[in-house]
Amino acid sequence: MKSLLDVTIWIVLIAHLLMALAAAWRVWRGENSISRLAGLDLASTLTLAILVIISIIRANIIYIDVAIAAAALSYISTIALAKYISDHKVF
Amino acid sequence: METILQFLAFLLIVSGTLLSLIGVIGFIRLPDVYTRLHATGKVSVFGLVFLLLAADILTPLATWKALLLIFFVLAASPTVSHAISSAAYRAGIPMVGKRDDLKGKMELGKGG
Repeated sequence: MKSLLDVTIWIVLIAHLLMALAAAWRVWRGENSISRLAGLDLASTLTLAILVIISIIRANIIYIDVAIAAAALSYISTIALAKYISDHKVF
Repeated sequence: METILQFLAFLLIVSGTLLSLIGVIGFIRLPDVYTRLHATGKVSVFGLVFLLLAADILTPLATWKALLLIFFVLAASPTVSHAISSAAYRAGIPMVGKRDDLKGKMELGKGG
């Protein structure tokens, strides 16, 4: 069971990296700015998932702290960018 | 007991990854912004939360921090999706479907 879990978690890490690459492709070649913003949100969510997977692989809790900080930052930045794109002002 | 917990974590990791994969495929294949936002909700609500539950089981001492991040993700992800779709409607991004319940009820370009 342990070795199966070890192999699976590496496959899952590579799958999440490929999915983040797809989201980054949408940010690079989006048809409008809101579509790129949705791709950015997806890429930040997948970054959180990759940090959690690394925390499982290394059996270390510190990566979940990094994920909490990254979640707070991406939340604020996505809300601010959406407000700026629709209204041309932030506040 | 240890084996049962590891098997549960295995199931959580595999199902979370498959649901994330469904969300990303929908994000690539669907036609406009609103339907794509519908697909990306799967990635944060199912994929990330299942991975965090697996980390909760496997990593020692991770219980309360993982639960905190689950609470934060479940609070933040619908808010972000709503903000992006509202910004898309107010910026005048066209939608594929014909039905528009907000037509005439929201002043375009004025904020809201």
